[in-house]
Amino acid sequence: MSFVTSRRAFVAGAAALPFLRMPGARAATPGVLTFGLSSFPPSIEPFANTGTAAATIKVMIYRGLLSYGKDGLLRGDLAESWGPEGQTAWVFKLRDATFHNGEKLTSADVKWTIEQIAAEKSTAFFRKEMQGVAAVETPDDRTVRLVMKEPNVTVPRLMASYHLPIISKASAGGEAIGAGPFKVKSTERGVSMELEAFDKYFRPGLPKLKGIRAIAYKDENLRVAALQAGDVDLIEYVPWQSMEAISKDPALTLDTTDGPFMYLVFNGAKKPFDDARVRKAVAHAINRDDIVKAAFFGRGSGLAHLPIAEGSEFFNAEYKDAWSYDPALSKKLLTEAGLGGGFSCSLLSTAQYGMHKDTAEVVQQHLMAVGINAQLNLPDWATRVALGNKGQYDLAVMGTAADSNDPDGLSNFIDGTLSPSYVRSHGVKVDRIIELLQAGRVEFDEAKRKAIYKELEKVAVDEVPIAGLAWRSQGYAMKKGVTGFKNLPGALTFYSGLTFEETSIG
Amino acid sequence: MLGYAARRSVVALGLVWVVATLVFLVIHLIPGDPAELLLSQGGFAPDPAAVAELRERLGLDRPLPEQYLAYLGDLARGDLGRSLLDEHPVAEEIALRLPRTLELILAAALLAVAVGLPLGTLAALRAGGIGDRVLSVLAGVAMSVPVFVIGTLAVLVFAQKLRWVSAGGFTPFDRDPLGHLALLAMPAATIAVGLAAVVFRMTRSSILEVLGRDYVRTAVAKGVAPLRIVVHHVVRNALIPVVTVLALHLGTLLGGTVLVEYVFNWPGLSGYLVNAVEARDYPEVMGIVLVISVLFVLLNLAVDLLYALLDPRVRHA
Repeated sequence: MSFVTSRRAFVAGAAALPFLRMPGARAATPGVLTFGLSSFPPSIEPFANTGTAAATIKVMIYRGLLSYGKDGLLRGDLAESWGPEGQTAWVFKLRDATFHNGEKLTSADVKWTIEQIAAEKSTAFFRKEMQGVAAVETPDDRTVRLVMKEPNVTVPRLMASYHLPIISKASAGGEAIGAGPFKVKSTERGVSMELEAFDKYFRPGLPKLKGIRAIAYKDENLRVAALQAGDVDLIEYVPWQSMEAISKDPALTLDTTDGPFMYLVFNGAKKPFDDARVRKAVAHAINRDDIVKAAFFGRGSGLAHLPIAEGSEFFNAEYKDAWSYDPALSKKLLTEAGLGGGFSCSLLSTAQYGMHKDTAEVVQQHLMAVGINAQLNLPDWATRVALGNKGQYDLAVMGTAADSNDPDGLSNFIDGTLSPSYVRSHGVKVDRIIELLQAGRVEFDEAKRKAIYKELEKVAVDEVPIAGLAWRSQGYAMKKGVTGFKNLPGALTFYSGLTFEETSIG
Repeated sequence: MLGYAARRSVVALGLVWVVATLVFLVIHLIPGDPAELLLSQGGFAPDPAAVAELRERLGLDRPLPEQYLAYLGDLARGDLGRSLLDEHPVAEEIALRLPRTLELILAAALLAVAVGLPLGTLAALRAGGIGDRVLSVLAGVAMSVPVFVIGTLAVLVFAQKLRWVSAGGFTPFDRDPLGHLALLAMPAATIAVGLAAVVFRMTRSSILEVLGRDYVRTAVAKGVAPLRIVVHHVVRNALIPVVTVLALHLGTLLGGTVLVEYVFNWPGLSGYLVNAVEARDYPEVMGIVLVISVLFVLLNLAVDLLYALLDPRVRHA
């Protein structure tokens, strides 16, 4: 009884192995781009905020009155022009655009959309903002006059948000009908979405692609592997540890921007973080370079001031290092606050995301050096959000991006009058900051607006409503043959899906 | 026998109720509000009024006992509810994903048996030899290395470096049979590595035990051909413990393919469960855990009934 394999057969079999690849698994359709998403969108409900992966798909299907160009500046989308009329009204002139059902866009669709968002039972992300609209006037089919209850200079930026697209009024009771460059062809729930080009898209000659196949790769390493293996043409959320290898790969292109950021929030409803000196002591205790190295593999930069990007016209150079690493100053501030002997506190973060955990560990070490014994609490993300919303923490690590490069976006993080939330400090309410945010929102003069936000940052440097830690690099990677796609600058990085209309694949 | 079957069925139903209740309580008691989470995406704070509205719409504002009774009522009607995220029917999604996980497990089992059984037999027949020692060491290593290490290495070597296969993903069989099998190969092989080692070790020890039995010695003395002895008398009798252990492992894999599904982007039931827990999607978590539990209970019930059928002492015990 013996099992004999001929040596020749074995060698032949081994030699044939490389030819066993299955091209069917990665067969590319000409003109169709395969896009590796970081997660499958939980829903593409137009007015809901269901995450950045969903937002990227949403800007392909739906379009708003305004959006952003590759330079990050506002541009007309369904509106060809717009402007203020007096202190409270904004007028939008609509383009000759067509919805996916073939019907023409009219001012009635815009009115209907805003009414849906502002409705009593709405759960739309911008419900509160749209409830600030006093009236939507439609003098003709191509003109919309938006009358706000109060002056608001940020209306155009609201209208450019991917959570505020214009939907056909024919959508009532059914699926949302948009006017974006692509239409949903099919969906494999949890796996992939097939989009096809919309041939009546309002920008002539666009989109350049015939379609997009978006496949969800939740594992960041697999997402990179899929790009390197040629399974996909473009990926989002490039992990920091892979950026160097991708940038050195002659077949690939890496496009990054420092947009999202990490920061600390405080529980100011109780001691010791109800004292601004203690919050400032924490801000000066942390060496931000260590966070950039440990959590982001050097792909980012320190953030020792409010999260206003250096490229922004509202950036204040004199506050660039306002919370610079200075352990001696930190100890001095603690002594002034009567905590020279140090103290213990909890430091909330999450073990679910490496960048949050790594950042918390670096923060913990630096706090220890100035006498603050921070005990890490690293639950899963859902628990971390719940604890943050209830204010059940002393210090917490948070990471996000503003919704635009406009400084009014800071409200989400430092406006103490807003409801308790895990994204901002608990019980830290600085009256002057609230006044300045309000003033900046109603000021139409650009120079005066800059002065307002400069003063706001000055106040924030002393009051420390949050403590900036690090800008993190946000990257897309693609094959060399992919052209026209652009990572939008700064906080707009998650709007980069807008450029799919100009993307082509060689 | 019928009385025994009825008694066991009642116990099985009771177990399902206990599991359903425990899952309901656990998922509702851990921190994390699905409405808050759903509206807090991307690091933005939701409007509290919108959260309250969503909680009301999802029925999360009702008292827990009321939610529990509604849940049991739905279960009695065979309704597993709808996802809190997009109102997709949970039963429909489970029906879609369960076969994918079963396919993965079965493909891995087939591979494991195809490799582990002959190698285990050969090792037992050459017990103490170099081949046996090498295979035993390899089996030990295969059992010790975690699946995510094997999976990651497989992706690195076969997809990234050699580019023989796709890094991962899923294509429905009816749309692209070859592509489907190509994408199934790596995750199934990854699970099969550890499983094959188990089969190898069980086969080897079981065969060694059977080889010492009187009836084998008798067959040898009668001059029966060695191949016939091995196939008809040794392997056949040695298979019972192997099948038992394999079945136990397969049952565990039903909810334990999480890492493999994650590493290879295989959209099965385990990955679905993890996503549901992360999102605190109560109906999805309860539905998936319940289905897995029911499958376990049914398997146990089938085994109990089979034992009773084979051995009358069991049903009279």
